[in-house]
Amino acid sequence: MIFPAVPRFPVQPLLLGAGFALLVAIGTATVWLAEQSAQDARSVVHTINVQEKLSNLLLNVRRAESGQRGFLLTGRQQYLLDYRDAAPAVETYLAELRTLMSDNPDRGPVLDQMDATARTKMTELAKTIELQASGQHEAAVALVQSDDGFKSMNGLRLLVERTLADEERLLLARSDASRRNDARLLAVSLAGMALVVLIGALSVFLVQRTSRQRESARNELAATNANLERIVAHRTADLTEANEEIQRFAYIVSHDLRSPLVNIMGFTTELEALRSDIFEEMAKLREQAGVAAAHADARESGGASTDPLGTGFDEAITFIKTSITKMDRLINAVLKLSREGRRDFKPEEIDMNALLASIAQTVAHRATEQGATVAVADLPPVVSDLLAVEQVFSNLVDNALKYGRDGEPGRIEIKGHTARAHVMYEVRDNGRGIDPHDHQRVFELFRRSGPQDRPGEGIGLAHVRALVRRLGGTMSLTSELGKGSVFTVTLPRRWVGENRSAA
Amino acid sequence: MNARMAEQPVTIIMVEDDGGHARLIEKNIRRAGVNNPIRPFTNGSDAVKFLFGADGTGTDNKNCALLILLDLNLPDMSGVDILKRLKENEHLKRSPVVVLTTTDDAVEIKRCYDLGCNVYITKPVNYENFAHAIRQLGLFFTVIQVPAAV
Repeated sequence: MIFPAVPRFPVQPLLLGAGFALLVAIGTATVWLAEQSAQDARSVVHTINVQEKLSNLLLNVRRAESGQRGFLLTGRQQYLLDYRDAAPAVETYLAELRTLMSDNPDRGPVLDQMDATARTKMTELAKTIELQASGQHEAAVALVQSDDGFKSMNGLRLLVERTLADEERLLLARSDASRRNDARLLAVSLAGMALVVLIGALSVFLVQRTSRQRESARNELAATNANLERIVAHRTADLTEANEEIQRFAYIVSHDLRSPLVNIMGFTTELEALRSDIFEEMAKLREQAGVAAAHADARESGGASTDPLGTGFDEAITFIKTSITKMDRLINAVLKLSREGRRDFKPEEIDMNALLASIAQTVAHRATEQGATVAVADLPPVVSDLLAVEQVFSNLVDNALKYGRDGEPGRIEIKGHTARAHVMYEVRDNGRGIDPHDHQRVFELFRRSGPQDRPGEGIGLAHVRALVRRLGGTMSLTSELGKGSVFTVTLPRRWVGENRSAA
Repeated sequence: MNARMAEQPVTIIMVEDDGGHARLIEKNIRRAGVNNPIRPFTNGSDAVKFLFGADGTGTDNKNCALLILLDLNLPDMSGVDILKRLKENEHLKRSPVVVLTTTDDAVEIKRCYDLGCNVYITKPVNYENFAHAIRQLGLFFTVIQVPAAV
């Protein structure tokens, strides 16, 4: 399965980045909008404050006026209490209003006007009270009747009312702005949240998809692995079967080939017996026919071997018999190999030192005769089939002794070392060596190398290699003509049996 | 020939698919001076039909003194099966069976003796040895006692 790697890889970080950017934007917007909202609130408070001050200003001017009226009407001092209380309050409110309204330069002229009007009123009030106090009641009343006080009071009232209305409008506008701001804040927050949720959902979806893909890929891999193992097991079974088939084939063929061989040999021998009878008969006939007496001696000496006819006959029979004997040997060799191939191997701990010592002991007599020495170094032990390993090393040592070099005392060395899960043994000789061209050939059945001056069928090394292979090992050969050979046997340190691939 | 055998001539049943082998065996048995009748069979089926009769019980040969020469590699059946049936048969189990074959496999030899074979001989390819072995066998025939027919 091939994954769409291009879209999957950058989408996730991109989404995350977008999510973070969005959060930052929402945060900033919220902070800004909140600040805005706070400012609106402050403005509202300010407006209300201004309205209160304005109302208080008007109230106090009226209080002062009402006190003045009472005093004028009754002449009693107690009416002046209100006046005296209100008069400084008016000053205070005027000052406060000036401070409050300093932020709004538009209000400057209105305030100035208001200030002036209030002061005019307060001056008129102060003047009438002063007159009344000094006993000029009529003058005071006349001043009131001049309507100056009424006009300025009216003017102040109008100014205050207009300003109040203005402030009211401002308040309305500010509340409106504040509401809109709040709505915007809410909208931005909601939209941001929705977007964050969306990105989150998308991320979760992508992660899930990725994990699903990974899961299915893992399953597929596991299935492929299982399948592979099945295929391997299948092939191994096929190979084992084919191998067994070959073994059986070799066995049956070699076995059935012997049968006709018995006949050929048997009747050839019968023929040989018949031959003497025939030649005797012929000799008798010749004698009766009165052939030259010169032949008589030969006849008497036992069957016409000097006769060219007899010589041809003998030669033919000899060749036939030699060939049959050779064929019998070859068939026996194949039989032996196939029988070895079918033998059950049992792994066991083998003391290689003891094994090689016993092999050296077996060949000691021959070695002494040839003036050869067999040196066995300290060898690592191995777990393998004892009989097979013994045959392998017997063959190798035997070969080393057999193919020595003329005029050179043979020297055979056996060494070994451990390499991880394997043990390697070397059988080294200083014999005649093997031509590099024949390095493969010598391991083949019935094939030999070099001068054919030693008895043998060309079976030993083929047998050795077959055994080593069955033991899960390998064989190698290093050799040069005239410089000796080194046969290296590599075996698994712990062979568990049956399965060659285990090694 | 043994006196007892002479009374009631022992028939030699030779089960051998190879005509050449059969001829060589017969020649060499005769050379050893054995003159008993020899009945050759070239396949397992015919031999089984003769030995066990049409009904397969072997009652036909109840009163015959038989000596069986048996080859193991027959074209239609294994000689081992014939040996097994012979030794399991009430009327034939006492007849000596000589397995004469090319197989020298230790497992096969053991199996034949386990099944009750009396003698196991491997045919040597070397004719001197072959002829010698058969003649020895012939001599052996002249001295052994075969259960007489009742």
